[in-house]
Amino acid sequence: MPGTRHAFHEELENLEKQALGALDMIVATLERALEALKHQDVELAQIVISDDDRIDGRYLEVHQGILTLLATQAPVATDLRTVAALLHVIKHVERMGDQCVNIAKLIPITGHEPPVDEEMLATVVRMGDLAISEVRQAKQAFELRDVGLAQDLVRQDEEINKLNREVFRMGVRAGGSDEDRLEWVLTIVMVARALERVGDNAVDIGEQVAFVVTGLFREFSDASHPLPS
Amino acid sequence: MTTVPLKSVSGRRRRTDHIMRGLIWAGAIVALIPLVLVIYYILKKGLGVISGNLFTTDPTGATFGTDLSVLGGIKSAILGTLEMIALATLISVPIGIAIAVWLVEYGRGTKPASVIRYLIDVMTGVPSVVFGLFIYVTLVESQVGGSGFAGWKGAIAISLLMLPIVARSAEVVLLLVPDSLRESALALGAPRWRVIFRIVLPTAAPGLLTGSLLAVARGAGETAPLLFTVQATLVSSGDLTQRMNSLPVQIFNDIQSPNSTIVDRAWGAALTLVALVLIITLIARFIASRSRLQT
Amino acid sequence: MTPPDETSPNRTEVVEQQDAASAAAPQATVGAPEVPTRPGEGARAGGHTISVDDLDAYYGETHAIRGVSIDYAANDVTAMIGPSGCGKSTVLRCLNRMHEEITGAYATGTVKLDDTDIYGSSIDVVAVRRSIGMVFQKPNPFPTMSVADNVSAGLRLAGVKGKHKDEVVEKSLRDAGLWEEVKERLSEPGVGLSGGQQQRLCIARTIAIQPDIILMDEPCSALDPIATLKIEELIHELKRQYTIIIVTHNMQQAARVADRTAFFWLGELIELGPTEKIFTKPDNQRTEDYVSGKFG
Repeated sequence: MPGTRHAFHEELENLEKQALGALDMIVATLERALEALKHQDVELAQIVISDDDRIDGRYLEVHQGILTLLATQAPVATDLRTVAALLHVIKHVERMGDQCVNIAKLIPITGHEPPVDEEMLATVVRMGDLAISEVRQAKQAFELRDVGLAQDLVRQDEEINKLNREVFRMGVRAGGSDEDRLEWVLTIVMVARALERVGDNAVDIGEQVAFVVTGLFREFSDASHPLPS
Repeated sequence: MTTVPLKSVSGRRRRTDHIMRGLIWAGAIVALIPLVLVIYYILKKGLGVISGNLFTTDPTGATFGTDLSVLGGIKSAILGTLEMIALATLISVPIGIAIAVWLVEYGRGTKPASVIRYLIDVMTGVPSVVFGLFIYVTLVESQVGGSGFAGWKGAIAISLLMLPIVARSAEVVLLLVPDSLRESALALGAPRWRVIFRIVLPTAAPGLLTGSLLAVARGAGETAPLLFTVQATLVSSGDLTQRMNSLPVQIFNDIQSPNSTIVDRAWGAALTLVALVLIITLIARFIASRSRLQT
Repeated sequence: MTPPDETSPNRTEVVEQQDAASAAAPQATVGAPEVPTRPGEGARAGGHTISVDDLDAYYGETHAIRGVSIDYAANDVTAMIGPSGCGKSTVLRCLNRMHEEITGAYATGTVKLDDTDIYGSSIDVVAVRRSIGMVFQKPNPFPTMSVADNVSAGLRLAGVKGKHKDEVVEKSLRDAGLWEEVKERLSEPGVGLSGGQQQRLCIARTIAIQPDIILMDEPCSALDPIATLKIEELIHELKRQYTIIIVTHNMQQAARVADRTAFFWLGELIELGPTEKIFTKPDNQRTEDYVSGKFG
């Protein structure tokens, strides 16, 4: 009897669409945050902050949907792994949203004409672009259940990590003892860190892809066992 | 929500319904008329004769007289019927149930079983006079057992009559015992014969009893076999190896008498026989109603 | 007709053989080589196993079971699942040789209870069934017997006489979780109990003869949810003493109750494994499709 449990599979697909759609929302939010950063646009930053409500709302929707599905449909095997993965994915999405809010909150402090260190700012913007690309790739990997694509996120994330370390070094050099300068530098470092966290969350989503496909949960890169750089 | 109102019954349908009801009632009444008439007739004719004398004295063989003290009652007939029926039951019930057990427990679905069942069905349709003739030819004429006519030979003839009835009804009852009971008993590690004796037969017991009693009721009333195998005597000797009296034969003989009192005695005997069958049937129904095997 | 079985309080040679065998020989290893899912609950001293090798079963011309080989671990609950007609009930009935009671049905292959092949030529079928008990789908206490008589029915059908019947009855009812509910009603008809109680009565009846293995053919299908849960709890208790094999069409029940699960389809064994594995990450695609409800 092919195609039984229509309602169940429709519901599951819906949940996946909602969760992955939230990744699109993250991409848009990141783009806006980067714009705001580049042009010190405080109003745009404010929009980013208030838009986080939508992301939080999406989180609650998916979360509730998953609970309902578990209670009423008793999914097993691959369906069960998918549901468990979606729970993780939406949590990571919510965390990414929070990181974007953190960035947005820092933007007013970065208002400084001209920026204290051009190179630092450019590196951070580069990090942001990489983060956006990671989020897009994570979404694609999950949609296609492509483990190879998911594992490639590690490589990209290494880039972000490298850039993060550079920003830190640049900050140390450029800081000086001027309070004003120091404030700018430290703020930029914090923005970089937030972007680096976004990248980590994208990698975590990649791990969920592997879990759904293989049934095994394995950390691609463990913080306590860093890959040789 | 439907906006079309439900159609009401048309006048024509109502009329047809009434007519059919009327016809069915009429059919039922027509079917009952003979029964009612028979009962009425027996009661009318036979009640007058009922008395202590009827049941406590043997027929004397006298053909003249107007009183039972001269003519005698039907005691030997009653006793003879009871004795022969008892023997017939003892023969036909165990064998009949055994046949049914074989059909249901061992031979179910097999070719031999269908053949046997067919033969039993044929036996049900054989006129009772044929059984009488059969026994006459095989047992009476050849003087088996030292005498010609004998009570036990009559009993055998009647048991042949009762056998298919017992076997078929027992088969039906045994088939009603759920297979799940047999399965459970087998699964407990019981050999099949134990399953039959400890589980199947006890469960079917009320139904088996009912079936047997109905066969008995039938056998008690048969005349023809007895005519050819037992003949009749007047005195009840109780000896099955000799001729015996029986109610059906007594009735047969008495009803032809020119003496009207003797004819009345025949009706009394008929009433007694009907009452006997009625009592047996009532016992059977009572047991069936208390049966634990809810069908 | 089988000849009358002479009454013997002890079981026949099959059982004596296997008692000696299981005492002497090490426990048979079972199934897949992976680590037991619940450590310590695998082979245990005194536990009994069934090992099926190349079993084929027929209903007349119909070839219902094809080359099934499967091991049932001692003191484990193994569930057999699969769509209707997949043969799981047939396999179960081959394990205590009830299959051949159906006219025209027979089976070939080897089924070993510990080290004895129950299809061996010298084996007494009746003795096999005393070692391998069965509980059926529809609760069926014997209608002519009281509660107590129902429990001891197995003993009496086996010809066991003795004064210890009352003790056996009480112990069996306790083990079946029914004692408290019926101790005041032991002489009432067995059919007077509720459905769930009747099924537990049937379980008590089965364990009263002290089998090694208990087979259950969809034991909860005819029961309400609460009665079902009680019996599932009972199964969990019983597996300490018995090896249990259960056929169920309720996958959730298999997931709740079984240590290992076997999936059958069209008369073949498709996959056998720890229950968690079958329901989270089965190896075979058909298993995956069935448990996910994509067919069946």
